Amino acid sequence: MLACLCTVLWHLPAVPALNRTGDPGPGPSIQKTYDLTRYLEHQLRSLAGTYLNYLGPPFNEPDFNPPRLGADTLPRATVNLEVWRSLNDKLRLTQNYEAYSHLLCYLRGLNRQAATAELRHSLAHFCTSLQGLLGSIAGVMATLGYPLPQPLPGTEPTWTPGPAHSDFLQKMDDFWLLKELQTWLWRSAKDFNRLKKKMQPPAAAVTLHLEAHGF
Amino acid sequence: MSVLQTWLVQALFIFLITGSIGVLLDPCGRINPESPVVQLGSNFTAVCVLKERCMDYFHVNANFIVWKMGHFTIPKEQYTIINRTAASVTLTDVTSLNIQLTCNILTFGQIEQNVYGITLISGLPPEKPKNLNCIVNEGKKMMCYWDPGRETYLETNFTLKSEWATEKFADCKTKRDTPTSCTVDYSPVYFVNMEVWVEAANALGKVTSDHINFDPVDKVKPNTPRNLSVSNSEELSSILKLTWINSNIKNVIRLKYDIQYRTKGASTWSQIPPEDTASTRSSFTVQDLKPFTEYVFRIRCMKEDGKGFWSDWSEEASGITYEDRPSNTPSFWYKIDPSHSHGHRSVQLMWKTLPPFEANGKILGYEVTLTRWKSRLQNYTVNDTKLTVNLTNDRYIVTLTARNAVGRSDASVLTIPACDFQATHPVMDLKAFPKDNMLWVEWTTPSKSPNKYILEWCVLSDKSPCIPDWQQEDGTVHHTYIRGYLAESKCYLITVTPVYADGPGSPVSIKAYLKQAPPSKGPTVRTKKVGKNEAVLEWDQLPVDVQNGFIRNYTIFYRTNIGNETAVNVDSSHTEYTLSSLTSDTLYMVRMAAYTDEGGKDGPEFTFTTPKFGEIEAIVVCLLSIPIDNSSGVLFCFNKNRDYSLFITCSSFLFRIKKHIWPNVPDPSKSHIAQWSPHTPPRHNFNPKDQMYSDGNFTDVSVVEIEANDKKSFPEDLKSLELFKKEKVSTEGHSSGIGGSSCMSSSRPSISSSDENESAQNTSSTVQYSTVVHSGYRHQVPSVQVFSRSESTQPLLDSEERPEDLQLVDNVDGGDGILPRQQYFKQNCSQQETSPDISHFERSNQVSSVNEEDFVRLKQQISGIPQSCGSGQMKMFQEVSAADAFGPDTEGQGERFKTAGMEAVLDEGMPKSYLPQTVRQGGYMPQ
Repeated sequence: MLACLCTVLWHLPAVPALNRTGDPGPGPSIQKTYDLTRYLEHQLRSLAGTYLNYLGPPFNEPDFNPPRLGADTLPRATVNLEVWRSLNDKLRLTQNYEAYSHLLCYLRGLNRQAATAELRHSLAHFCTSLQGLLGSIAGVMATLGYPLPQPLPGTEPTWTPGPAHSDFLQKMDDFWLLKELQTWLWRSAKDFNRLKKKMQPPAAAVTLHLEAHGF
Repeated sequence: MSVLQTWLVQALFIFLITGSIGVLLDPCGRINPESPVVQLGSNFTAVCVLKERCMDYFHVNANFIVWKMGHFTIPKEQYTIINRTAASVTLTDVTSLNIQLTCNILTFGQIEQNVYGITLISGLPPEKPKNLNCIVNEGKKMMCYWDPGRETYLETNFTLKSEWATEKFADCKTKRDTPTSCTVDYSPVYFVNMEVWVEAANALGKVTSDHINFDPVDKVKPNTPRNLSVSNSEELSSILKLTWINSNIKNVIRLKYDIQYRTKGASTWSQIPPEDTASTRSSFTVQDLKPFTEYVFRIRCMKEDGKGFWSDWSEEASGITYEDRPSNTPSFWYKIDPSHSHGHRSVQLMWKTLPPFEANGKILGYEVTLTRWKSRLQNYTVNDTKLTVNLTNDRYIVTLTARNAVGRSDASVLTIPACDFQATHPVMDLKAFPKDNMLWVEWTTPSKSPNKYILEWCVLSDKSPCIPDWQQEDGTVHHTYIRGYLAESKCYLITVTPVYADGPGSPVSIKAYLKQAPPSKGPTVRTKKVGKNEAVLEWDQLPVDVQNGFIRNYTIFYRTNIGNETAVNVDSSHTEYTLSSLTSDTLYMVRMAAYTDEGGKDGPEFTFTTPKFGEIEAIVVCLLSIPIDNSSGVLFCFNKNRDYSLFITCSSFLFRIKKHIWPNVPDPSKSHIAQWSPHTPPRHNFNPKDQMYSDGNFTDVSVVEIEANDKKSFPEDLKSLELFKKEKVSTEGHSSGIGGSSCMSSSRPSISSSDENESAQNTSSTVQYSTVVHSGYRHQVPSVQVFSRSESTQPLLDSEERPEDLQLVDNVDGGDGILPRQQYFKQNCSQQETSPDISHFERSNQVSSVNEEDFVRLKQQISGIPQSCGSGQMKMFQEVSAADAFGPDTEGQGERFKTAGMEAVLDEGMPKSYLPQTVRQGGYMPQ
């Protein structure tokens, strides 16, 4: 898993290159990251439907709501509202970055197990998109001058396919992975919307000024 | 390919060596480089290195090397001997794409032995690919395309490279058949910028395009909106609501739309303002549409910010707006039946169906109301577009409304004035002209401003009556075009009537052509009179059906048998022309062309011969040749005035001379009843040959030629001639000039004989006779269908009172019967007519006879004295022609004189049968 995480992070050596076409500030890239989370959320909705059908009942039943067993290693998106509000930009971005780094690793494991080519293809595309999201977040952090978090020894995800898990429990993990991913995408949309609003005012003022000038 | 060629060359070499030394050996040498690719236009150097073994065997060294390009030996100047075993060759400015280069040695007395061969490939390095762009068709993989630049003539590979800031994607290699585009192997991730570029590489180099950096979502071409449907609203007839289903991309990006519509059948699309459809939606209400109209819609979408590509157009969907009440009143007009009975009028009300854009629905019927002064309303419901009502002679107000399912139109109001209403205030300066394949009409508004105008038009033709079509124009309009089918080459009579609150104004008419053409027939020219040095030509106006345009002018072409043709232009208003300076006793051929604005058409050729002697000469000859029994005739003959009395006198004189030789025959014309009957079809001489028998040719003074154009059966003519002769014998000795007249009527007992005698007694001698005989009877227009013999003598009296009229009309008629009424129009074709009548077209029929009278008078005014003079001259010429036969050198005078008329005719190209034809038997035919 550490290798997985390292691989994910290894692919982000040239984050500042995201802004190689000029430096329009973090605004556009935050907006784009926000749009991407919405896009991924939309993508996941159809992917999850397909995957849960692949897992079969009871996982594909609408009111299936199992306890969160054995998924403790998954990064939790839910957080106390006050805590969430009090997060500073760096911490907010770092939590997002770390969460998706882990989730991506789990997801790739999921992909390896998927039986049908179509599902594998959908998962692969989702993984690519998630990789894109990580890159986007890294880009925003680079723009704002925050360093990327380094994976700490001992905190790496412990997802491993093997005989330790029964098939049902494995499916339960998959279920919770998708569910947590969805929650994270919701949260990220809120995070980036908040960041966007924080970063936008001056840009909006400039736009208004220009428009007024135009008239 | 090149490898294969090289291999073949080497194999050949080995085979040769094997053949020469009998052992399978390596090549005798090698060329370096072995597989060269060079740039077009550059220089290339190859080195051939010989092997020692071969050099020893063949006793050669590098000096013996010969380079060849295909079969062509490269000149020695391009060789360089490097050492004993190696020599190079340099090719400058390589322009061939594929060169076979061989190294050879000269052995054993100049025998060329091939050592080695290579294939030189040339081409160009790739150019930097330009205009790189990518498109993401929704749900599909990304495709990028570029402009590859110039042809390289070499195998050139294009590789599309793409990467994120954090990750490189797999290269996309172009397929051989699509070197200018490549579809990547992965689905693009929206909202993550990527960088894309193209590498072009061949044997001569590698070049990279500019990098483009974009978010794939900005390159999206969305899928087409589906299930477009259209629904209307009963509440609002001007709207249609469109609904559709957006593609899934709407969940990812915001969309804007392009909605176009057109009425069914129209070719151009109208567009909904883009600002109204600039955000994601799945329905739209289109406003400001016409009621009860079918519209066709289509829609496409793209990313809201305009980045990316428009989707394809959706399938078209159509819908019909709901009905609305008719928005305009129908065009409304009326026609009064001319044959009204006392105290009542039959009036046909007529209207036009509303065009769909004004009907605004299905017209279910029309409602007409009639109001007479102080009387109650009469209502009519009509489905047709006309209604005939019987009205008194009072003034009426008529209203018309059109009704559909929603409501009725405003009323169209017409005033039908009382019988004694005097129309006034016509339009002024009426003009009609073709433009853009339409016939435009324009006018100046009358001083009193009208409510509307009615335009009527019809084709003028001799073959069919004028059946007018019509259209209505608003009172503010002063130019418009005829909205009906118009044919080319047809003369249209267009009438514009202003319509005022109190009734129609005076109509004004004009003639026009949509497109003129050359006449379909040329005018038929004939001689009216032929003199020694001149000839008076005459012709009829062309019938309107063959004019095909406004006749602008005529050209007369005449020539002798041997001479050049002379052309004379004559104004279109003329119907005769005098050719002067002719040579006497010469055969002339003449023809005439009539021209419209579009060209001309020749008529048939006519031949005549000028006489040998002038008139005076002829008379002198005649006086010298004939025993004279009346001295007064001699005196007149020497009078040089070419007036009527001279002619009469000479005529009388010659007539008397004739009677010595040729028995007098009664004038058949005076009692020729059958020919005057309106039941007898007018005799048109359509046969071109016959047409040459014009009046002028036959006016031989004597009675025999009067009806020259009336070619009755010959045997009867001959019988009449016999009668004529017999009568002459019986009356000889007591007949004078007037006696000739009485002779004619007394040749056979008749009902009218007493009248004729009376008229003969009342008229004074020869003057009446010759005048009457010439023109009087023929002009008489039959007014009743049955003639009595007594009426047949009326021309004598008439002519006595109005000799000029008769002569004029004789000219006009030209022996072709009564002139068609259209001749009147023809005379005035470029002028406008003003008729005070309400209904111009109806009136035309009623006044036809009046028009003819007008026409006669008009002709009088136009022609006037010259025409009567011409007529006299014509007779004189004929007389001279006859007199010519009395030449002193002629033998057998009596016999000669008998055929004089014939001779005169022959001179003018007439057939021998002319003389008998001229003897009219009509009046003598049993009735």
